[in-house]
Amino acid sequence: MKTEDMLKALTEAPGISGSEEDVAHLLRNYFARLTDEAFIDKFNNVIGIKKGTSSAGKVMMAAHIDQIGFLVHTFEEGGFIRIAPIGGHDPRVLPGQSVIIYGKEIIRGVIGTTPPHLQKSGDTGKVTALEELYVDTGLKEEDVKARLRIGDPVLFDNVCTRMAGGYYSAAAMDNRAGVLVLLETLRILKGLKHQWDVYMVGTVQEEVGTRGGALTAYEIKPDVGIAIDVTFGDFPGIPDRQTSKLGGGGAVAVGPNFHPQLTERLIALAQDWEIPFQKEFNPRPGGTDAVSMQIAARGVPMVQVSIPLRYMHTTVETLDLQDIRRAGRLLALFAAHIDEIHGEVVG
Amino acid sequence: MKTLIKKVVETFGPSGREDSIREIIKKEIEPFVDSLAVDTMGNLHAVKKGAGARVMVAAHMDEIGFVVTHIDKMGFLRISPVGGVAPVRCLYQRVLLDNGVKGVIGVEPVKNNNEIDFSKLYVDIGAKDEDEARSLAGEGRFGAFLNEMTELNDLIAAKSLDDRIGCVVAIEAARRLKKSPNEIHFVFTVQEEVGLRGARAAAFRIEPELGIALDVTGTGDTPESAKMPMKLRNGVAIKIKDSSLLVPKKVKEFFMAVAERNKIRHQPEILTFGGTDAGAINLSKSGILAGCLSIPTRYIHSVSETASLSDIEETVKLLVKILECDVKKELALE
Repeated sequence: MKTEDMLKALTEAPGISGSEEDVAHLLRNYFARLTDEAFIDKFNNVIGIKKGTSSAGKVMMAAHIDQIGFLVHTFEEGGFIRIAPIGGHDPRVLPGQSVIIYGKEIIRGVIGTTPPHLQKSGDTGKVTALEELYVDTGLKEEDVKARLRIGDPVLFDNVCTRMAGGYYSAAAMDNRAGVLVLLETLRILKGLKHQWDVYMVGTVQEEVGTRGGALTAYEIKPDVGIAIDVTFGDFPGIPDRQTSKLGGGGAVAVGPNFHPQLTERLIALAQDWEIPFQKEFNPRPGGTDAVSMQIAARGVPMVQVSIPLRYMHTTVETLDLQDIRRAGRLLALFAAHIDEIHGEVVG
Repeated sequence: MKTLIKKVVETFGPSGREDSIREIIKKEIEPFVDSLAVDTMGNLHAVKKGAGARVMVAAHMDEIGFVVTHIDKMGFLRISPVGGVAPVRCLYQRVLLDNGVKGVIGVEPVKNNNEIDFSKLYVDIGAKDEDEARSLAGEGRFGAFLNEMTELNDLIAAKSLDDRIGCVVAIEAARRLKKSPNEIHFVFTVQEEVGLRGARAAAFRIEPELGIALDVTGTGDTPESAKMPMKLRNGVAIKIKDSSLLVPKKVKEFFMAVAERNKIRHQPEILTFGGTDAGAINLSKSGILAGCLSIPTRYIHSVSETASLSDIEETVKLLVKILECDVKKELALE
């Protein structure tokens, strides 16, 4: 299967935090072709194990499979539905979106908003709080109550689009882009020898507190951990120092919760093999699975590679597929050399 | 059950100082369980033996309160909150210190109520001066609110329904539960109000296959209240989510199916803030299936937390029916 097709399938598979079944099954099937063992645990974390030649150590690569969304919260008169957020939403980008409710059946809806003509003077340009927004399904009040349940997941209607310049945009690029890096890594790793066992993990519930990463790292107890996520892509109005360039390669994280020597060796590898990469500075631990994996069980030395992504947490998250390929190549080489690198710098 | 509720809610026990409430609960639950133990953190474990799944039922016995940080020249105690205490809810409340001394909370003059924070509050224990205050209550003493339980029609109002009402539900369920295939650990946890701390340690100790927290939840049934689906008198609330936990589908559906089968009045709970011991259990070790039964409660973290006796009864009923099930089979555990 082509990388582009997998990106489309992965981004369009529903997987709100806490109900990741669909995307988990898709990923398990992809892992099954590329690993020795692939399974889904009781929380829908997806684990693919590729055995090494010596199995003397374990490297765990984690990318979260969950995405932000909403739950049906309360039913209003007239059949309108209030929604509760799952993960971090920007209320500015919600009005006017099409959504899909995944209940007993799939029901489409829209997030309504007051037309400009009817806005009170002074209200134009003001942001409506998420609690004040509602979903309109077109169903009558009694039908809404009969066909939907409080707690049903609500996701943005999502189509992965190839853009004119060759970029791709979709909702849930955060972090299906990272998931695709796992698959790229495995594809390249097929042609390489590696001593250590490689644990590829699609983690759940990252968007609500990096939970799946904590649980799977506790279970696997890896010798080295790698978190793969997305980071802020460059766009007008934001200083360069806060962003990474689309097309500039994977962003290697530098910060207190990343192992300095392992990070240096990852960068050296990219330089040796002339794989484009960039550095990203994370002075405060947080925001990705690395933060909880690092302190799981007795602690895990971590590195992190992120895919530059514009417009994070919107329906048009935009990236350059090349960055995913490059990150995959770099991480495959890292996995193939991790036994000697670990011996030299961690011991 | 009302007498038991009154006794349990009126007992002292802020986070970190749960000794008195633990002694009361110990006496109440002892006749209904096979063994009792207190762990290093102070959690009380009351176990009913069984050959099936290990189920941990957690209700936290700590309540919100405060600690005395210093005593001023005039003999007033300055305090810092323990748990989520809103300063305005402290005004002119009666309080009890861990050595039995009583006081009332006063506030320095302010132009605007928004200025009220803990630096403006003090506890008046009736001391004449700093020396007398120090002899009655030194720095480091813990305190909690004082209030008697009151009945309001079919509702009850009291301090610390959060979460003594969960403790009562656990005791009452232990009393009513005659036969269960499961090994049930009723755990009365410490330090929930300061970060779900006791339950986490207890879960590591027990390694349960299912965790069930019993706690209170907010409601959307008072004037101009935040929009929430939960209402008093609509039965036990089965948690779907809060900030600490997304209840796994099979746990949520198991609880709902038991409620349906036994015609127990229930309602779904979605909370966009807050957390319970179930969240801490869920994230212990490599992850534990966990859910939560909540008692809809108004005015949480005030001295007049208000809940419905019928909802409390439905919560006991549902917990008993859940515990009577073969949890291994219901959750398809190996």
